[in-house]
Amino acid sequence: MLNRISLKSAERKAYEKSLSEISPLARVHNKKKWTPSNVQLLLMVSLGIIFIAIFAYLPMFGLVLAFKSGDGYLNVMDAIFKSQWAGFANFKAFFEDPDFKNVMTNTLGLNILQLLINFPAPILFAILISELPWKKIRKAIQTITYFPYFLSWITYGGIILTLINSDGIVNTILINTGIAPNGVDFSTAGWFWPLIIVTSLLKGLGWGSIIYTAAIAGIDPQLYEAAAMDGANRFHRIFKITIPSIAPTIVLFFILSVSGILNNGFDHIWTFQNQINLATSEVLDTFIYKYGAVDMLYSYTTAVGLFKSVVAIVLLGIGNFVAKKTTGSGVI
Amino acid sequence: MVVHRIYKKKQLMVGSTGRKQRKKVFDWINVAFMLIFAAMSVYPLIYVLAGSFNEGADYITGGIYLFPRKFSLENYQVVINDIRLWKSYGITLARTILGTVSGVIFTAIVAFAMSRKSLLGRNWIYRFFIFTMFFGGGLIPYFWVINLLGLFDSFFVYIIPALFSVYNMLVFVNFFKTIPEEIHESAVMDGASEFKIFFRIILPLSGPVISTIGLWIAVGHWNSFFDTMIYTSNNNLWTLQYYLMKVIKESSMPAAGVSLPIELLEKIAPETVSLAAIIVSVIPIFVLYPLILKTLTKGVVVGSLKG
Repeated sequence: MLNRISLKSAERKAYEKSLSEISPLARVHNKKKWTPSNVQLLLMVSLGIIFIAIFAYLPMFGLVLAFKSGDGYLNVMDAIFKSQWAGFANFKAFFEDPDFKNVMTNTLGLNILQLLINFPAPILFAILISELPWKKIRKAIQTITYFPYFLSWITYGGIILTLINSDGIVNTILINTGIAPNGVDFSTAGWFWPLIIVTSLLKGLGWGSIIYTAAIAGIDPQLYEAAAMDGANRFHRIFKITIPSIAPTIVLFFILSVSGILNNGFDHIWTFQNQINLATSEVLDTFIYKYGAVDMLYSYTTAVGLFKSVVAIVLLGIGNFVAKKTTGSGVI
Repeated sequence: MVVHRIYKKKQLMVGSTGRKQRKKVFDWINVAFMLIFAAMSVYPLIYVLAGSFNEGADYITGGIYLFPRKFSLENYQVVINDIRLWKSYGITLARTILGTVSGVIFTAIVAFAMSRKSLLGRNWIYRFFIFTMFFGGGLIPYFWVINLLGLFDSFFVYIIPALFSVYNMLVFVNFFKTIPEEIHESAVMDGASEFKIFFRIILPLSGPVISTIGLWIAVGHWNSFFDTMIYTSNNNLWTLQYYLMKVIKESSMPAAGVSLPIELLEKIAPETVSLAAIIVSVIPIFVLYPLILKTLTKGVVVGSLKG
């Protein structure tokens, strides 16, 4: 129709005004203008912008703490504004901290274990569930295994702690069956990692599989029928149809897990941590909480937090790059 | 129509992956494994239930696994007499209801604007939001902001910082995009403002995504204890989970400071009382579970649409 670009601005305005008088629809197509509708939308989105500016970008300003010597101050405000610049001294102190090696080993070790075990487990679980030929049992198992996800770690973990203490059911079974005649002390450092992995599975495996179950349910059944007709057995079907079909979902969640590699759910660790297993249970999150919020080493722990964020963002970039190269699709 | 019916009939004969229902060894091993796992993941709850109904002094001697041995309601009697439990219950209930309603509306309004193509500077605003999903200030700087806003030791520290989440906003945006543009256009033609369109047209159409995100937020509120631990120092602001943590982790008797009949005190033990406290805290989730399950399994499909 009319070439809008060729019109001068005054003419254009008049033209648009006339258009919008004829049909209000024209207003919708007329993007990028200060129309009442656009102003209203900006008002709405400004709620989010203000929120994020305050609760996400303002704390980023607080990151200056990492480069200052604000450790002796009673309140964070003074630590930010009244302390001296310290350059990279806080980072250096963290790298030289006797706990550094332990904390990093635990943080990375636990997360790599989670990536290796707790990441693929829900996929396997979803496939196994979808292979169950009894619909009612399938439903029952889903209903039961999803439930613990909705409990807090304090509650669920607290109960598990009771079950594994010296006179709990786990030890009773271990002693009575002769597997461990003297019982096992699960509160020791050596048991912390296995405890975290197993409890993660017990609480989260069912719910974690739901996203893959949904993806599997979305696969065209005709694919399976055709494969069955061609003589494909169960394992052909799983490896040639199910897994390739849910691959995009797997990749998406893999990248998200990689970027969270320095986050070990605080609640979970906190529930199972005790004074005896600190050597294997202290991770970045608990370390920052103790030294920052409790001992008020504001600059030091901010530096540790910044280090954590930077590593996470680099890992995310790498994960995204690898995913783009291998599957042709990334997240960002 | 006819084709559809035939297709449906055929589906009935096969399993979820289109397999003919002939059971093999694999199926039996599979189902055995599944049942064992399901039993293990739900066993802790059965145990708590049994222990909480057992007499404390008897429980200490061990051996309670599936059923109470000496049935007693005294643990519950102690728990419901504990004023701290009810206070923290009230706080958690209040923050869950208030936080969920305000969080859903706040996030949905922003998401609605973000879903409109005509929003000025949309791509820049997107970047402004997304960046914060991957980078943040960390604990101490966040703590500083909470203090700066005067939220420390205030009930609103549970509500305001939880009003908005970029992730939830993205889920909303993905849903709003599936609402046909024509609906919006015809509303504009009738002279409706964007606010009116959002509240009168878009929100009523968004049942599934609202209930999904609402439940995510609600469960988060119900189970949260970290904010109590770090942003409050006032006992009156204890949340339920924080109270439970105190009871479980520090095995303090829940009814500290409450005067109980002496004959009751002789029979109870801190362990069983804390088990009863756990059950009391889980009841709402248990009662609402069928609803949660129904909503969230539908919601997963909503959320995965973007994938």
